[in-house]
Amino acid sequence: MTQSRAEIIAFVGGRILPHEADVRAWLLRSGGSPADVDDVIQETYCRLAALENTAHIINGRGYFFRMARNISIEKIRRARIVRIDCITEIDALNVVDDEPSPERVVASRRELHRVRRMIEDLPERCRQIFTLRRIHGLSQKEIAARLGVTENVVETQAARGLRLILRALSEATAQDHSVSDKTHEPFRKRDR
Amino acid sequence: MSPSASEIDDEAALWAVRIDARGLDGVEDPELQAWLAGDHRRAGALLRAQAAISFLDRGRALAGSVPAVEGRGPSRRALIAAGGAAAAMVGGVGLWTLRPRRLDTGLGEIRRVPLADGSMVAINTSSALEVDIKARARDIVLKQGEAWFQVAKDAKRPFVVSAGPVRVRAVGTAFSVRRSERGDPRVDVMVTEGVVEAWVEGVDAPPHRLSAGDMIVLASAAPTPVTESPSEIERSLAWRNGEISLDGESLEEAARLFNRYNSRQIVIQDPDLAKERFVGLFQTNAPESFAAAVAATLGADVDTDARTIRIGRARAS
Repeated sequence: MTQSRAEIIAFVGGRILPHEADVRAWLLRSGGSPADVDDVIQETYCRLAALENTAHIINGRGYFFRMARNISIEKIRRARIVRIDCITEIDALNVVDDEPSPERVVASRRELHRVRRMIEDLPERCRQIFTLRRIHGLSQKEIAARLGVTENVVETQAARGLRLILRALSEATAQDHSVSDKTHEPFRKRDR
Repeated sequence: MSPSASEIDDEAALWAVRIDARGLDGVEDPELQAWLAGDHRRAGALLRAQAAISFLDRGRALAGSVPAVEGRGPSRRALIAAGGAAAAMVGGVGLWTLRPRRLDTGLGEIRRVPLADGSMVAINTSSALEVDIKARARDIVLKQGEAWFQVAKDAKRPFVVSAGPVRVRAVGTAFSVRRSERGDPRVDVMVTEGVVEAWVEGVDAPPHRLSAGDMIVLASAAPTPVTESPSEIERSLAWRNGEISLDGESLEEAARLFNRYNSRQIVIQDPDLAKERFVGLFQTNAPESFAAAVAATLGADVDTDARTIRIGRARAS
């Protein structure tokens, strides 16, 4: 059975996107360059966009990790020269799925805090328009009338806000990564 | 040269906003069709941008819900509410506030408790606290375990958490403190909102200043640097929702995490298995489901009795 596009978007928004930061951080730790990581993430969304149904995905987080891992391995196989530890790092990681219940709402509640902060960090005009649209649910026309600007300005600012939020979603982890190199994480490296 | 990932993202954001604003049907608009057809990566970028909008809207839906106060039963909750009401009436100098209040949790228990000053504390498994809210000071002693504090702003009453020789001081902020007794005693401080100061009593050094996203390990021994890692902190604090979030931990480390919450202990019988690493999200009180998932992934054997869950190599058949 085919799902509506809106259902797939809601699924990706609720069950995939919230884990993007973690998947990116993990790919970086596994030895990918930031450009490689961007490619893998982009390819993952491309494949999701090609899906007609997401009902078979029980655990979004696990699915995201596994897909990113598979795409990384495909990339490595296509590349002529490969760092050996790149393969072993990616291969050594086990993605486990829990039963459907624990994920859910709770995971996104944890993300909520981050999203709020992202909106708060937007430039003033952007933030205002974003809040009116997303939090108060006003239409583009209503927002334009209230702020005394054209609808076009509202659209441009809304797109700018979304761009900044999309960028924040991918950049937050690059920061974490540079820092986590300094912190001690002895259990992450496994010696064979 | 083909457009970079970020250019595609920027265009996708504009399309996602247009679709959202105009109720555009992505399939019918010829201009959008042409854009999508120009590069196969655009469909993925558009999905991501639309998913971000949907995610932000989910945030709105969730924002309305108030986190449940978990207690041991209605009587205790009623007691707390009554305490709060009494505090409001007496204005914070009531006699009852003179007595420190003891809060503790058993194995696997996680509690959220509102304090008389409007602050909130989430207490992790096997922990003990003493809370003393006075007119001029708010003193908390973490005797054992781990707690996360969401501190109500009150500049006149500093909020100080003591854990052994370690002190953490805040005004209006949120942070967690964890005491570990095994091996080298140490205290982990992680800040989720605002700014705190942390120091070790008896050590002649200026206090460490930590902002949101910072963490530090304070041991009685050598000083340690402050590190910044917001996502690591969020993951470490998954217990507030009754969750264990694995992000590359070894099976050995994961077992230790589950064993903190459950009397039924996970035992790993094979040293090679113990080194396997995992990603996943589990409930603190469901070690069986974790073990089952591990077994399915590694083809290992699980042997469960009342006290232990043994994970070992599959027997050759």
